[in-house]
Amino acid sequence: MAPAGVPDALEALGAESSVVLAGGTSIGLLLGQALIEPSTLVWLGRIPSLREVAVEDDRIRIGATVTVRELARHPVVRSRLPAVATAAGSVGNPRIRAVATVGGALGHADPRQDLPPALAASGATVEIAGPGGTRRVDVARLATGLMETVVAPDELITGVDIPLPEAARGVYLRFTPASAADWPTVSAAAVSRRGPDGIVTDVSLALGGVGPTVLTVPEAGELKGSVAPSEEDIRAVADAAGRRCDPVADRLGSAAYKRAMAAVWARRALQACLEGAGRS
Amino acid sequence: MRLRFTLNGEPQELDASPTASLTEVLRSLGLTGTKEGCRIGVCGLCTVLVDDLPVSSCLFLAPCAEGRQVWTVEGLARRDPAVVAAFVEHEGMQCGICTPGQVVMASAARSELGAGAAEAEIREYLIGNLCRCTGYQSIVMALGSVVAG
Ligand SMILES: Cc1cc2nc3c(=O)[nH]c(=O)nc-3n(C[C@H](O)[C@H](O)[C@H](O)COP(=O)(O)OP(=O)(O)OC[C@H]3O[C@@H](n4cnc5c(N)ncnc54)[C@H](O)[C@@H]3O)c2cc1C
Ligand code: FES
Ligand code: FES
Repeated sequence: MAPAGVPDALEALGAESSVVLAGGTSIGLLLGQALIEPSTLVWLGRIPSLREVAVEDDRIRIGATVTVRELARHPVVRSRLPAVATAAGSVGNPRIRAVATVGGALGHADPRQDLPPALAASGATVEIAGPGGTRRVDVARLATGLMETVVAPDELITGVDIPLPEAARGVYLRFTPASAADWPTVSAAAVSRRGPDGIVTDVSLALGGVGPTVLTVPEAGELKGSVAPSEEDIRAVADAAGRRCDPVADRLGSAAYKRAMAAVWARRALQACLEGAGRS
Repeated sequence: MRLRFTLNGEPQELDASPTASLTEVLRSLGLTGTKEGCRIGVCGLCTVLVDDLPVSSCLFLAPCAEGRQVWTVEGLARRDPAVVAAFVEHEGMQCGICTPGQVVMASAARSELGAGAAEAEIREYLIGNLCRCTGYQSIVMALGSVVAG
């Protein structure tokens, strides 16, 4: 069914075993393999409010059914949220990006997905509508486990809200040793902010692919307070990221390999986002 | 359920299951240029255009095509004969199984990438279209000439 508004969608989701359908790149795959048998698919493609992008001075709100392609090409995202733009432009292949949505990229909660680390490092929050009203959850806290989120079956992700700080710099790196179109073995997003004097005021780091959910690394905050954090300090944070991660062995690498690569790619992302004193 | 969309420029109306893929619907109409390969979105054999953008029809649920413009390789071969001609000229096929998907991608690349696209961009654009005969070089050349117009 294709409800015309969020209230109708929520009502439909109240029914037993009804499932949200957005772009359908994952739902189509799960249906094709007979891994799910929902009673009703509640398609969000006819709800105009979910397709909106709203830019304010210090934030951008992206509706849940904005596609990953649209996100990657949005001029404000490209200029002010380069980590998010790069992550969106790395999702799968052009056919997936044309169809997959921002809400699906969050609701699917596969820890190898590209957008969650970039959004988490950017301090984004997810807007969730339910029968009791709307609530907000940090992207970093949305997933609770492999393909599990805090979104209840009768709730809906309506959008994501991303701060647009001044003098921020973001980097997203993706380590894909298999085919270029494959999932990353490890991905790392780093975002730094600087004050008017060039001093780093905040650094955040989030990794994908190395645990059941996106991994945020609070030690990154220790890199603030100087114009040019030292190589040693950056390494210490990257090593902390390696210790924090909890990867599983699969065809993309053994657990030990992924842990080692997490530290390497965390370091590279931090270096790239902190290089050049005072650069905005 | 009743499904109405525009197929290769003509209005189309049919009954489809709510969970049918667009590949199934197109092939049931005799449009077998759209192939089914991996069924998980990675090979590109089932590529069609929906509202001018390339999609994997194996993962695209047919009801989501309601009211939209769908073009398959059959329609594009009539609409954009130069794209097919480029594949012939550059011998951009060997066994041919991947060719319809490559042709649809080439047609999309022209508007998505535009003239002046670097070869690296063309290769990046084809990241999800596999050719097991490994004819990539000639496929990239065919796309290059399509994109250059
Ligand atoms: C071949 C292939 C390669 C891919 N490669 C990558 C990759 O490299 N990197 C990457 O990041 N992603 C990749 N993806 C995409 C990713 O895994 C998901 O398929 C995609 O992000 C889901 O978006 P969708 O809109 O198609 O969601 P759907 O398939 O419609 O839904 C996915 C899940 O999210 C839920 N959902 C969707 N929207 C909402 C909402 N608004 N509120 C609540 N729940 C919702 C659905 O119920 C479902 O459980 C790939 C997918 C495929 C098929
Ligand atoms: S069959 Fe659809 S991408 Fe392979
Ligand atoms: S020509 Fe044979 S798979 Fe591409």
